[in-house]
Amino acid sequence: MLMPEPDQQVIDRRDDICHALRKLVPAACVVDSTESMRAFDADGLSAYRQLPLAVVLPETVDQIAAVMKWCHQNEIKLVPRGAGTSLSGGALPLADAVLLGLGKFNRIHEIDYGNRCVVAQPGVTNLAITHAVQADGFYYAPDPSSQIACSVGGNVAENSGGVHCLKYGLTTNNLLGVEIVTMEGEILRFGGKHLDAGDYDLMGIMTGSEGLLGVVSEVTLRILQKPATARALLVGFDDTDSAGTAVGDVIAAGIIPAGMEMMDGLAINAAEDFANAGYPREAAALLIIELDGPEVEVDALIERVEAILRTAGASSVRVSQSEEERNLFWAGRKSAFPAVGRISPDYLCMDGTIPRRRLPDMMRRMASLSQQYGLRVANVFHAGDGNLHPLILFDANIPGELERAEDFGADILKSCVEMGGVLTGEHGVGVEKRDLMTIQFTEDDLKQQQRLKCAFDPGHLLNPGKVFPHLHRCAELGRLHVHKGKMPHPDLPRF
Amino acid sequence: MTDVIATSLADVKDAVESAIAAGHRLEVRGTGSKSNLGRECNADAALDVSKMAGIVDYQPEELVMTLRAGTPMDEVEAALADARQMLAFEPPRMGRISSGPRSELQGTIGGIVAANLSGPRRLTAGATRDYLLGFEAISGRGELFKSGGRVMKNVTGYDLSKLMCGSFGTLAVMDEITLKTLPAPETSQSLLVACADFAAATKTIAQIFATPHEPGAAAILPQSIAAEEAVDTGGAFTVIIRLEGIEASVADRIANLQAMTGGETIAKPASETLWQRIRDVQPLAEKPHDLWKVSCAPSDAPRLVESLDSAMGVRFMADWAGGLLWFGASRSRDLGNRLRAVVAELDSGFAMLVRDVAVTRDEIAPFQPLPAPLFELHKRVKASFDPRGVLNYGRMHSGI
Repeated sequence: MLMPEPDQQVIDRRDDICHALRKLVPAACVVDSTESMRAFDADGLSAYRQLPLAVVLPETVDQIAAVMKWCHQNEIKLVPRGAGTSLSGGALPLADAVLLGLGKFNRIHEIDYGNRCVVAQPGVTNLAITHAVQADGFYYAPDPSSQIACSVGGNVAENSGGVHCLKYGLTTNNLLGVEIVTMEGEILRFGGKHLDAGDYDLMGIMTGSEGLLGVVSEVTLRILQKPATARALLVGFDDTDSAGTAVGDVIAAGIIPAGMEMMDGLAINAAEDFANAGYPREAAALLIIELDGPEVEVDALIERVEAILRTAGASSVRVSQSEEERNLFWAGRKSAFPAVGRISPDYLCMDGTIPRRRLPDMMRRMASLSQQYGLRVANVFHAGDGNLHPLILFDANIPGELERAEDFGADILKSCVEMGGVLTGEHGVGVEKRDLMTIQFTEDDLKQQQRLKCAFDPGHLLNPGKVFPHLHRCAELGRLHVHKGKMPHPDLPRF
Repeated sequence: MTDVIATSLADVKDAVESAIAAGHRLEVRGTGSKSNLGRECNADAALDVSKMAGIVDYQPEELVMTLRAGTPMDEVEAALADARQMLAFEPPRMGRISSGPRSELQGTIGGIVAANLSGPRRLTAGATRDYLLGFEAISGRGELFKSGGRVMKNVTGYDLSKLMCGSFGTLAVMDEITLKTLPAPETSQSLLVACADFAAATKTIAQIFATPHEPGAAAILPQSIAAEEAVDTGGAFTVIIRLEGIEASVADRIANLQAMTGGETIAKPASETLWQRIRDVQPLAEKPHDLWKVSCAPSDAPRLVESLDSAMGVRFMADWAGGLLWFGASRSRDLGNRLRAVVAELDSGFAMLVRDVAVTRDEIAPFQPLPAPLFELHKRVKASFDPRGVLNYGRMHSGI
C-alpha cells in the first residue's frame, strides 16, 4: 500500500512545528520523542506502521481548533485519532502529518433521560455510554466488537456497527448531533437533541467520513430503554446453503431478530476449542439468533423461529433457558477472532457485504479461492444483514504469505461487488481497501465524493491517503466542461 | 428553454447540460404534491421527472426495494402491503396539507426522499434518511454518479444518501433509489392519557418511554382537537401512544401501560385512522390556515407552546413526543417570527413554513435562516454538486 510521498521540507521543519504547537496547547500535550510516539504508530490494522511527525493531545475544543487552524495556515497535514482501534488503517499516521489524539476527551457532559440522549466528548468509549445509563434501564445500541476500547468519536468517523445492526441500526441511525472542528479551525454543530436536520444532513455526511471532513469534538447519542428480555437460539446445519436459506425464511416470516450470526465449520471448531460454549462441532454452519423485547413477545417469536428452522432442515436447535445460557451461546461467537488467532500465526479479517441471497454462492467462491491461494479461511457473518467477516489464515514469517493473503482478501471483496454488494460493511475503507474503491465506484462517482471533500477541506490536509485511491486537486475537480455551446457572460460569477 | 419531461437519466443529463450551456436554471419536479414546501424557484424551465417511475426490484426477504424516484406512493404502498411490509418511516401524504386539486396528489417516493418526510413512527424507527440505502443520479454538473448500494450494511465511501434526503432537489436528480423495507406490524393499538397541561403531557410521555413496553409513537392533542377527532379524554391535553407488534405482545404491553397511567385504549381501525390523520396534519390542515412545522428537542416543546399569545389564534398539535410541533394560524407572520426567535434562543431545531395561505413565501423565508458559517458550508456543498446553480436554485435558501 503506497502512502502519499512525505514532504521532506515539512519533516525538516519538525522542531519548529513542535515549538509552534507548544504555544497552542500545554507543552506536555505535544509528544515528539520517537519512544513515546511508538504508542501511536498504528491502529487496529497493525500490519501497517508509521511514526507521525508529532503527536498532539489537546485538552479543550478550543485547543483542537487552534491546532487545526495553525496546521491549515501552515499547510501541515493532520491525522485524527480516537482510540486507534480502526481495522482499516483510518488512523494510520503519516511521516509528514501531525497526529491529533482525542484520548483526553473522556467525559460525559450530560445524561438527558427526558430526551433519551447522552451528550459526550469524543474520547469516551462506546461501552462507557451504556455503563453510564444502564442503572436506569437504558443502553446505547451500536455495539462494535471493540466497544470496550473504541471511542464514540471514532464510531462516528467510521459509522461503526456491531451484531445488533439488523434491528437497531449503525452509528448513523443512533446519532442525534455532532460538534465538529473543520480544518480551518471553525467549530460547527450539526443536529442536536431534535430529530430532523431541516437543511442538508451534514451530520449524516460526517458519519462514516473516516476523519476526512472534520474532527468530531462532541456527540449527542440516542439511548434506548433496555429490552425486557432477550433469548437466543443456537442452531446447527449440515450444509451452509440451508443455513443461508433459513436466515431468509425468518425475515420473510416478518421477524426481525436483534441479531443473526452465522459461523462455518472451521470457525465453529476454533471457537469451541477456545470457549467451550457447547457448539455442535460436526455442523457445517451454525446460526445464533437472538430475539429481544417484551417477554410474551420473545417467547412467542422463539417458538415461531424454532419451527421455521426445523422446517429449513436444522440438524440441532437449542433455545437459551437462562441469561447464563444465552451468554454462553454468544461466548463462542464473541471469541471467534482470538480463537482463530490460536489456530494460525496470523489472520486477515475482511469485511464485505453481499445481498443475503447470494450467501451460498459466496461460500462456494471462497472455498475455491481458498484452494487457489492455498490458505485456509474461517467465516463469521452478520448473516441478517449480509455482512461477511472472512478470516484469512496465514503466517507472516513465510515470505510472500502476507501478500498472498492480501490478494485473497481483495478477490473476496471483488466477488462481493460482483454479487451486488459492497467493499466494506462496517470496518471502513481507510488505507486497507483504498485501492479497491475503483472496483465499486466509477471515476465520476469518486470525483463527486472528492468534490464534497473539497467543500470541507480544500487543501486535502485532513487524513490524506485514506479512502480515495487518487487524489485530485480541488481546482481540477471543480472544473466544469461545458458541452453544448458557450456560457453567456463567462466572466459573470454565478455564485 | 422549454420544459422537459424526462424518462431516463440520459434525458436528465441532456437537460442539465443544455441548461448549463444556456446559463438557465431548472425546477425539478415530480407530481407537484410538495410544491408548497420551500421557496419559489423562478426557474427558466421545469424538469418533470414523474415519468421516471416503476418498481425495479423488490425482494421482501432481503428487506430492500429498488425503484425509480418518480414511482407514485400508491404503487409503492400496494407492493409493500402485498408482501406485508412497510416503509418504517411512515411517509406522509403532503398533498393532503394543501387545499384544492393538489390535495388529491399522492406524490412520489422521490419527493418523499428529497424532502426527507417521515411520519409518527420516525420517533422510534428513524426518518427517510435512515432507510435510503443508495441511489444513482445526475448532478448539477450533468454527470452520472451513484452512492451507497443495495445492501443494508455499507460504509464504503461518503454516505451521500444522507445528503440527498432533505436536499429538495438542489444537488442532483435521482432515478433509481434503494430503500430498506421492514415487516409491517401484525397489529396495533393506542393508549389515550388525559393530562392537565402541555408540560405534564411531555412528562407522561417521558415516563412511558422509560418503561420496556416499547411505545412506537407519541402525539399530544389539545382538548379541542381531541374532541374533533373523537378521542377527548377530558384532560386539557390528550397523550396518544401507539403500540405495534404481534397480538399477544401488544395486548400485554398496553395492559401494563394502562395500569401505570390509568388511560383508555382505542382499537386498530380507529387508531389507524387517527394516526394517519396526525401523520398528514389533517386536524390543522382542514382549516384555511398558514401551517408551521417546528423540529425541537422534546423537552423544549413546552417552552415553544408557552411562548404563544392567545391573540395569535393558534391551533397546534405535537407528534414525536413533542419533538415535532405543528402550528396553524389564519395570519402567521407574528407566530412565525416568534417561533423562529424561540428556536434560535434554544439553539436547537428549526421552524419551517409549510403552507402559506395568508402570509407569502416572499415575505417570510420558509426555511429557518442559517447562521453565517453554516450557510457558507451549505453553499460550498451545493457548489460541489451543482456549481452553476442549475437545480432548484433557491428552493431552500436564497443563494443555494
